[in-house]
Amino acid sequence: MRTVTDALRTRAGAIAAAVLAAVLLLAAIGPFLAPYDPLRNGADILMPPSAAHWFGTDYLGRDVLSRVLAGAPASVLTAFEAVGIGLVIGVVPGITSVHLGRAYEWITLRVMDGLIALPFLIFAIAVAALLGNAVHQAMIAVGILLAPSFYRITRAAALSHANAQYVTAAQLFGASTWRVLRTHVWSKILPTLVVSTANATAGGLLIVSSLTFLGIGVVPPEPTWGGIVASDLGYLTQRPYGPVFPSLFIMATVGALNLLADAIRDAGGDHGRARTRGRGGAARVRLT
Amino acid sequence: MTALLDVTGLHVALGRGRGRTEILHGVDLTVAPGEIVGLIGETGSGKTTLARAVLGLVRAHSGSIAIDGREVSGLRRSALRAFRRGGAAQYVFQDPLRSLDPERTVFDTLIEGLAVRGGHSRAELREAAREVARLVSLPPGLLPRHPGELSGGQRQRVAIARAVAVDPRLLICDEPVSALDASTRITILELLLRLRETRDLGVLLITHDLGSLGGVADRVVVLYHGQVVETGTTEEIFLAPRHPYTRLLVTSVPSIGDAEPPDPELRRALRAEVRGLTAHP
Repeated sequence: MRTVTDALRTRAGAIAAAVLAAVLLLAAIGPFLAPYDPLRNGADILMPPSAAHWFGTDYLGRDVLSRVLAGAPASVLTAFEAVGIGLVIGVVPGITSVHLGRAYEWITLRVMDGLIALPFLIFAIAVAALLGNAVHQAMIAVGILLAPSFYRITRAAALSHANAQYVTAAQLFGASTWRVLRTHVWSKILPTLVVSTANATAGGLLIVSSLTFLGIGVVPPEPTWGGIVASDLGYLTQRPYGPVFPSLFIMATVGALNLLADAIRDAGGDHGRARTRGRGGAARVRLT
Repeated sequence: MTALLDVTGLHVALGRGRGRTEILHGVDLTVAPGEIVGLIGETGSGKTTLARAVLGLVRAHSGSIAIDGREVSGLRRSALRAFRRGGAAQYVFQDPLRSLDPERTVFDTLIEGLAVRGGHSRAELREAAREVARLVSLPPGLLPRHPGELSGGQRQRVAIARAVAVDPRLLICDEPVSALDASTRITILELLLRLRETRDLGVLLITHDLGSLGGVADRVVVLYHGQVVETGTTEEIFLAPRHPYTRLLVTSVPSIGDAEPPDPELRRALRAEVRGLTAHP
């Protein structure tokens, strides 16, 4: 946890945390701040930004600012939901695969290999077709597909600490696997996991935006940031700046999450850098 | 007197199938209470594997290992965990920095064994940590520190204190001084002697350096290619070594001052003789 608190003390980490706090606040109270009903059609269609409509209106005369605010929970919280599902499905077997014997390890590895082999969009559409075209079903699909990345990242981190001498020392005291994980392994994995989670949440937000852009998960006219971008695309000649406003919110959130991930990785120092690879190096979660 | 550690005919093999390598070939070894036994051998001779087998970290292929009269080679899972919680045998690693969790304080490290055992209040754990720190001459001010903030000697004292905190009968020290400078090395060896006297601790002191056993070990066991080739009192081993490998070890101990330097010719001849020995019949 020291790594995370150190990261929040850096300028980049503080900015990222402030932006994310604002986005989360928006997701919590955004719909109540909307000046107009986001679903109400109006006579003033494709209006430019004005004092009455800060972000203008769309092709049905709906206030874009109200739709962006009302769409915040569906856009942001669903990304967290997907990442949460991925974390639970990926992290628990990732850590335990190192400590619970070869048979369990082999089974979890093969299941995760199977999930990696699934093409993302086809799987998401198939789950939506199977379970219904609703946002939670779509997030289950996204979460399941995020799980192998969390599994592999967590497993790699757990493996690097499983044979540490202080773990052996704890085992020689008769410590249980659970106790060893709790006292010696978990704190070492956490910084890597936080970096991966921040990256995955950024990716998850893009996926949610992509899916809602395609009409999967959230059915129009329910507003989402991705859906607003999609609805504005047909009217680019009349309102070329239309997709800019919702896209800015997506970019700010994704950028802040990536910035936070990088700050945490950097705060991890040499130890943190050794765990990650490449430029911008976070152990990025594979999303597509 | 009943031996504290009694290893008889121990065979240990590592790996599987074609990669299977037999490391120990019928090793016999005993350590009595209050006795310090030096286990010496070259790198790869099986010293650490022997220690790990005694502690149940690797499985014995055959043979018996008895600690304080109890056969432990067949213990698995919960039975092994329960035996370990009793704290009869403890281990001190070679590298004190790597053997201490960098994110846990000295206090957390010292009380770990007692905390695993359970049944102690926080105040009791605090007192136990202070007492064991005093035993190894660690200032109480170091208790809230992390291993990275300590010197090499302090870290090794923490590692020894962690092991003796659960009041073991047998302490296995795997090259405990090889990563330390000469003066710290003497401090740690003196600490082992003091622990032996105050706690009647049996110590198996693993080393590849015969010089570090002089004045410390009561007996020396020489391991060569997974076999015990010679056992004797430290004096016997130093003054009248019988096996060529032991003679090579003794002639390789550096000497200064008036001591007669070892004959290089003799060393060359012994090296050739040792090279000619088969790894295992």
